[in-house]
Amino acid sequence: MVSQTETGSGRPYSPAQVRRLTDFDLTLPALGLLILFFVLPVAMLLTRSVTEPVPGLGNYAELLGSSTYLRIFANTFIVSGLVTLVSLLIGFPVAWALAIMPNRAASIVFAILLLSMWTNLLARTYAWMVLLQRTGVINKMLLGMGLIDTPLPLVNNLTGVTIGMTYIMLPFIILPLYGVIRKIDPAILQAAALCGANRWQSLVRVLLPLAMPGMAAGALMVFVMSLGYFVTPALLGGTSNMMLAELIAQFVQSLVNWGMGGAAALVLLVVTLALYAVQLRFFGTNRMGGR
Amino acid sequence: MLLNFDRLGWWKLVLIGITLLTTAFLLLPILFIAALSFGSSQWLIFPPPAWTLRWYQELLEDPRWLDSAWTSFRIAIIVTVLSVLLGLVTSFGLNRGRFLFREALKALFLTPMILPVVVLAVALYAFFLQIGLNGTLTGFVISHLVLALPFSILSITNALEGFDKSIEDAAVLCGASPFEAKIRVTLPAISHGVFSAAIFSFLTSWDEVVVAIFMASPTLQTLPVKVWSTLRQDLTPVVAAASTLLILLTVLLMVLVAIVRKGLKS
Amino acid sequence: MKRILVLAATAATIATAMPATAADLVFTSWGGTTQDAQKIAWAEKFTEKTGINVLQDGPTDYGKLKAMVEANAVTWDVVDVEGDYAAQAGKKGLLEKLDFSVIDKSKLDPRFVTDYSVGSFYYSFVIGCNKDAVDACPKTWADLFDTQKFPGMRAFYKWSAPGVIEAALLADGVSADQLYPLDLDRAFKKLDTIKSDIIWWSGGAQSQQLLASAEAPFGSVWNGRMTALAQSGINVETSWEQNITAADALVVPKGAKNKEAAMQFIALATSAEAQADLAKITGYAPINLDSPKMMDPELAKTLPDAQTASQVNADMNYWAENRDAIGERWYAWQAK
Repeated sequence: MVSQTETGSGRPYSPAQVRRLTDFDLTLPALGLLILFFVLPVAMLLTRSVTEPVPGLGNYAELLGSSTYLRIFANTFIVSGLVTLVSLLIGFPVAWALAIMPNRAASIVFAILLLSMWTNLLARTYAWMVLLQRTGVINKMLLGMGLIDTPLPLVNNLTGVTIGMTYIMLPFIILPLYGVIRKIDPAILQAAALCGANRWQSLVRVLLPLAMPGMAAGALMVFVMSLGYFVTPALLGGTSNMMLAELIAQFVQSLVNWGMGGAAALVLLVVTLALYAVQLRFFGTNRMGGR
Repeated sequence: MLLNFDRLGWWKLVLIGITLLTTAFLLLPILFIAALSFGSSQWLIFPPPAWTLRWYQELLEDPRWLDSAWTSFRIAIIVTVLSVLLGLVTSFGLNRGRFLFREALKALFLTPMILPVVVLAVALYAFFLQIGLNGTLTGFVISHLVLALPFSILSITNALEGFDKSIEDAAVLCGASPFEAKIRVTLPAISHGVFSAAIFSFLTSWDEVVVAIFMASPTLQTLPVKVWSTLRQDLTPVVAAASTLLILLTVLLMVLVAIVRKGLKS
Repeated sequence: MKRILVLAATAATIATAMPATAADLVFTSWGGTTQDAQKIAWAEKFTEKTGINVLQDGPTDYGKLKAMVEANAVTWDVVDVEGDYAAQAGKKGLLEKLDFSVIDKSKLDPRFVTDYSVGSFYYSFVIGCNKDAVDACPKTWADLFDTQKFPGMRAFYKWSAPGVIEAALLADGVSADQLYPLDLDRAFKKLDTIKSDIIWWSGGAQSQQLLASAEAPFGSVWNGRMTALAQSGINVETSWEQNITAADALVVPKGAKNKEAAMQFIALATSAEAQADLAKITGYAPINLDSPKMMDPELAKTLPDAQTASQVNADMNYWAENRDAIGERWYAWQAK
């Protein structure tokens, strides 16, 4: 911190020297906050996984040895993978369209994208709960159009979770991908056309490879965010779609089993941080965010 | 030609079609919830037998909803102020510093953003049980601050990276103190970053539900916790009314952001 | 910059230094229409009489309760829990002994009194049905488990608790007096036959919503919720055939801050008048033996009290003993 004496006339240090001494100090308040209320509590929780109820790796043995829990791990990956895949399939054409659309039309789509992103998470999830019911609007519409005879089970199952989470994740894939496609020089594609490439060839061999870094980064981000999701799977999933985050909450809240809760948290943490490291290593970006 | 809108041919229609469908998909729940909030069916039957303002009346007459909204607002404001201040100080340190482990430190500061919130929630819940901070405003502020700070640091360091530091040095050479130069020269130049930091911090706290579920007490409930527990117990259309008001607030906030952005640019 | 930080820190300290009034009594229950009724019939009367303000919290969460007691940071004073949980938690040392010099237990239904708990109200799992949504309503548990005769989704209670397993065994032909000890293998086998046709409800309001919207036109629900549905104008039918009773209980967590006030609250809540008032609003049965006399005979007819002919009493002691084991198996089965 810059103290009063240093700001007087006849400065004893050059500005550079003062700064070198103080820059690190500036990060100390935040560092203190983080160590006390982030690193320490998480470390304490993880410690409990090897000390409670008895010291040892018993919790991990139980967690990784039970078919029920393994099914939950598998579920977590399946849901996250599915959400990532669907988000990419929808997100790529939309980002592409946004990148080349007339500005005015694009800005309307952006506004809607941001509105959906900023709308309260619970409000959005609640809407899907009601919309996707057997007697909900979507089933009624499909029945009315004669597309189906009996209502589709759209909620309290994998479908419900996938729809609800894709809804939340779409902006996180569209926005970065838009940035990447925007930066591609149209001349490259023109060149491809001149060389005789048809549209499919241009798409598959030029545009997609050029957009690939953005797609990979976005996909990884969505996947990681999905892994730790709690609210949406809890409200839109069925009893057989439990995900890891919900299991952690259940261990702690309903069963008051801190040891197992800590063990499950560590598993989630390790997977997340490993993927985060991959992200940093290959895409050199910190643009991750989540709830 | 794939990047030229007018020369896409029929592919253009496909792209427009997918974009329109996606837009509809994004808007659907938002519009639906607004419609639902005016429906008369207590059991969320839609389309409803009649339309009513009853749920808004119940919402506004129930002090628990207003209390929780007020609680959320207070927490979010405190978090925003602290997060922006801390974010500023930290970002200056990170941006200007040339010390060892700077990148590692930066990564550490951003970790709460990628860490699954449920892990942090459970860890803080356990920690706060021991030191008696669960269900207190301090507890909420601390935990939301941990979550909001990365967004603040990220926005402000990004802005600082885009700022030419020689302008600040010039001010110092002209006789301003380093502190004065930062406040009067650098701060206005990075104001868009500070503004984003404030908005992100506010939204992070205002919308935060996972930590809040663990931390809430009978005397202190945030709005998302109220919505969550109502969803799990009551399913009353009052939730739809509350959600609609929240959406309205979002729209207002977006308009505000657009106005401020325009103001900052010109 | 230092000054700004100090200012901010001061502002934060002032803003956070707002303690809750210590004298407030915190009552925790399951939310929804039932807790609203408890507020009117008990809490408001209690405040009127003693001047002690009652804060409502919810929903009841056994994990939270245990964590509070273990950390000695108990914020709840009186909690409405399920009867079998009360019996178990008392043995585990999570609850305060009730002070029966304050609470008069001579008039309370002895089925629901232990050292640590008294009944809160009691209810039956009945077969509820939305008559407008289906051609025929299931009358017996066997009907409810028969997807051929009664196609469609059926609603069942999601959590591991007395009720569903008993229903499955009764549907499979086990006679009521042979239910305990529960044959879990047989019960889960029977439940397997309708598993894909079940929508689980996690709270009373959800069961009402499922039936009213015909999301699940019939199911096993609490009788009081059916009364409320009928009052809201939905055309419902309730079958009391082999209704399964279970009770909620009022308990005081160990280390509660306002123990004395908690005992007074429970005394009032279990008084004949307060019990009758609650029953009038909720359609659940009073646990005070004097209450039915104070009620409109027409209304008294709709209570589980009047449906004892084929009534099955869930065995709270059996459940208290086996709660954890059944729970583990239950959730593993659900997650499959």
